Amino acid sequence: MLKTIAKFLKILNSDAAPGQISLGFAFAMVAGFTPLMSLHNLIVLFLVLVLRVNLASFLLGLALFSTLAFALDPLFHRLGLALLTAAALETLWTTLYNSTLWRLERFNNSIVMGSLAVSLALFAPVVVMGNLLVRQYRDHVMQWVLRSRLIQAFQASKLYGYYQSVSGWGG
Amino acid sequence: MGRWIRWQGVVAFVVVAGLVAAAWFLLVDRAVERLIEQAGTAVIGAKVELDRADATLIPLGVTLSRLQVTNPDEPMTNAVEIARIAGSLDGLNLLRRKVIFEEVALDGVRFHTQRTTSGALTERSKQPDGTPPKTGDLFSLPDIRLQDPKEILAKELDGLKSLKLADQLRAEVEAEEGQWKQRIAELPDRAKLDEYKKRIEGLKSSGKGGLGGILGGVAEVQKIQEELKRDLDRLTGAKNDLEQTVASLKQRAGDIAKTPQEDVKRLMERYSLSGRGLANLTRALFAGPLAGYVETALRWHQRLEPLLSRSTEGKAEAAEVEVVKPLRGKGLDVRFKERAPLPDFLVRTARASVEVPAGTIRGTVKNITPDQPILGSPMTFSFSGEQLKGLESVTLDGTVNRVNRARPRDTAQVKVAVYRLEHLALGGEGAPVTLKQGLADLDVKASLEGKRIDATVGSRVRSVQMAVGGELGAGPVGEAIAGALADIKTFRVNAKIAGALEQYEVWLDSDLDQVLKDAVGRQAKAQIAKLEGQLRAAIDEQVEAKLSDVRSNLGGFDPILQDLLGRLNLGKDILKLGTGGIGGKAGLQLPF
Repeated sequence: MLKTIAKFLKILNSDAAPGQISLGFAFAMVAGFTPLMSLHNLIVLFLVLVLRVNLASFLLGLALFSTLAFALDPLFHRLGLALLTAAALETLWTTLYNSTLWRLERFNNSIVMGSLAVSLALFAPVVVMGNLLVRQYRDHVMQWVLRSRLIQAFQASKLYGYYQSVSGWGG
Repeated sequence: MGRWIRWQGVVAFVVVAGLVAAAWFLLVDRAVERLIEQAGTAVIGAKVELDRADATLIPLGVTLSRLQVTNPDEPMTNAVEIARIAGSLDGLNLLRRKVIFEEVALDGVRFHTQRTTSGALTERSKQPDGTPPKTGDLFSLPDIRLQDPKEILAKELDGLKSLKLADQLRAEVEAEEGQWKQRIAELPDRAKLDEYKKRIEGLKSSGKGGLGGILGGVAEVQKIQEELKRDLDRLTGAKNDLEQTVASLKQRAGDIAKTPQEDVKRLMERYSLSGRGLANLTRALFAGPLAGYVETALRWHQRLEPLLSRSTEGKAEAAEVEVVKPLRGKGLDVRFKERAPLPDFLVRTARASVEVPAGTIRGTVKNITPDQPILGSPMTFSFSGEQLKGLESVTLDGTVNRVNRARPRDTAQVKVAVYRLEHLALGGEGAPVTLKQGLADLDVKASLEGKRIDATVGSRVRSVQMAVGGELGAGPVGEAIAGALADIKTFRVNAKIAGALEQYEVWLDSDLDQVLKDAVGRQAKAQIAKLEGQLRAAIDEQVEAKLSDVRSNLGGFDPILQDLLGRLNLGKDILKLGTGGIGGKAGLQLPF
C-alpha cells in the first residue's frame, strides 16, 4: 500500500498529464465496481495497458473501488435488477441475451448490470473531475506539501529511497 | 498520438492474458472435478468421487476417469462406478453458459462395487425421503397346516350360524307356548260349554204348552245355538292357528338341522387348503421379492429426480422474463426468452456399456437434461445385451417425460429371455421355499404418472428345481404341498402393481395355484375329508342338543291342542242336542 501511495505521490508530483492520472482512476472504477472476472474488464485491462494511462493511479483506484464495491453491491443489485426487468428495455435485453458475446459478458446478472451502469455513468465525470483536482493540487497544494515537515521527514526515510527508485514509472 | 499510445502495452496485455489463460487451463481440470463431486454429492446424499477430470480445448471436451457414486444405504459400496466418461462439448453454447454435450461415452459402468473408504457424509445433506413405500401386510407365509376340529370350533363357536338359529328358535318356541297358554285361557272352556247344555236341556224339560210357548222355546234354542256357534268358531280358529304355528316351528327346526352344512363349508374355506388359501401361498412366495425390486427402483427414481427435472419452486415458468437466484452475494441472473431455447445442461446422446456379472450390456440414453420443458423432448433410453452368461438376451427401453412438468410420465419396458435363476429365496429371507434353479422369461412394463405407479410383470419359468424347507413340509398337507412344489418343472407368474407410491397394491396370479390345488386334491383329500367330517359331526352334535330342547318344547303344544279338540267335540255334541226339538223326551215337533 505504501508503495502504491509513494508511486501515486510521485505521479501527482511528476509531469504526468492529469488526464493520464484521472483516466487510470476512471478505468479502475469500472474494474473495481464490477465483478473482476467479466469480459469488459479484459477490455479495460487492454486499454489500461495500451493507452498511456497512469498505472499507479489505476492500481490504487482498483484497490479503493473494489473495497467500495462490497458496500455498494446491494445498491448495484437493486439498480441492475430494475434495469433488467424494466418493460421498456425488455426487447433490448432479449436481443442481447440471444447474442453469445453479451451472454459471455453476463450482462443479465443484476450486479454486473448495476455496477457497470454506475461506473459507465460516472466515467466521464471522474475523468473531468480528476483532471481538475490534479491541476488544482499541482497549482496550489504541491509546493506546500513538498515544504512540509512531514515530507521532509519522509524524504529522509528509507521509503524515499524506494520512491526515488520508482520514479520514472507510470507515465 | 504517441503521447497516448503505449505500444509495449500490447505485449504486456498479451503476456497478462496468456498468464491468465495458462492459470485457467492449469486449474480447470481440478475445478471441473470439484464441481462434479460437489453437485453429485448434494444430489445423491453420499460421496460422489472422481479420480481425475481432463478438459481439452481442441477438440473441446472433457474426460472423467473413475467416477464413484456411493450407495447412501451402504457407504462401503458404490451404487455405480464408471471407469471413463468422455464427452465433446458445443463450444459456442459453452460461451453462452450452456453445457451441451453432443455425445458422451460411458465405458465400464458397474454396479455394487466395493469401496476402500466409507462414502458416508459426516453431515448428510437433505435427501429425498428414502423410506420404502409401504405395501399391505402381504408377505407372511399362510399357515397351511390342518387344524384340530376342536380348536377350530373353540374359535368359531360364537360365529356358527346353525347354533344361533337353534337358540333363536328355542326362544321363540318358549315365547309361543306362553302366548298360547294365555290365549287358551281366554277361550270358552268346558264349564261354559256345559252351561249351554244345561240351558238347552232346561228348555226341553220345561214343556210349555200352547203355540206361543212352543214358538218362544224355539227362539230361545236358536239364540243359544248362535252363541255356541260363535264360541265354536273361536275354538276352531285357535286350533287351526295352533296347528299352523306348530307346523311352522317344526319346519324351521328341520331347516336348522340342515344348516350345519353351511357352517362346515365356511369353516373349510377358512381352515382347509382351498384354492384361495393356496393363492395366498403363491402370493407369499413371490410378492416379497417383487416388492423388494419395486421399492429399490422407486428409491433410486426418487434420488435421481433432481437430475431428471429441475425444481420449479418459486418460478413463473410461462413468464417471458425469469429470475433465477444463484449463490448468495452474487446477484441474480435474469433470463430472457431465447430464440432457439436450449437447457443449461444437455447431453444429446450418451452411449454406455454397462458391465454386469452376466457380461456387457450396451445402450444409449438421449436428451439427458433437467430442463425438458425447454428442450421439448423427453429423455429416452434403450439398452440391450445378447448371449450373456446365464442370460440369452435382455432389452430395456423407456422414457422419462418431464416436458409437461405438471404431468410427469415415466415408462419402462424390460424383456429378459432365458435368464438363469439360481438359489432365489422365495417369500423373503428365511422363507422355507428356494428356487434352486430355473430359466425365466420376463416381460415387465411399468409406468409412473406423477405419484401413481402401474406395472405388469409377466414371467414364465421352466427347468425348475425347488427346495422346500422343513417348516413348510411339516404335516401331511404340508408334505403334499412340498411334494407338489418339488415336482414343478415349469410355472408362470403374472403380477400387477398399481396404486399410489406410498401405498401401492400387488396382485399376483400364478398357475402354481392350480398345481398346488391338484396336489392337495391328490395327496391331502383324505385329510381334508376327515376334517370336514369331524367338523360336521361336532357342529351337528352342538346343534342337535339345542334342537332337542326345541322339540321337547314343541311337545308342550300337544296337550293344548288336545284340550282344544276336546272342547270342540263337546261343543259340537251340544249343538246337535239343541237341534233335537222342544218338549217331552222326543221333543216337540212343529206341525209344519
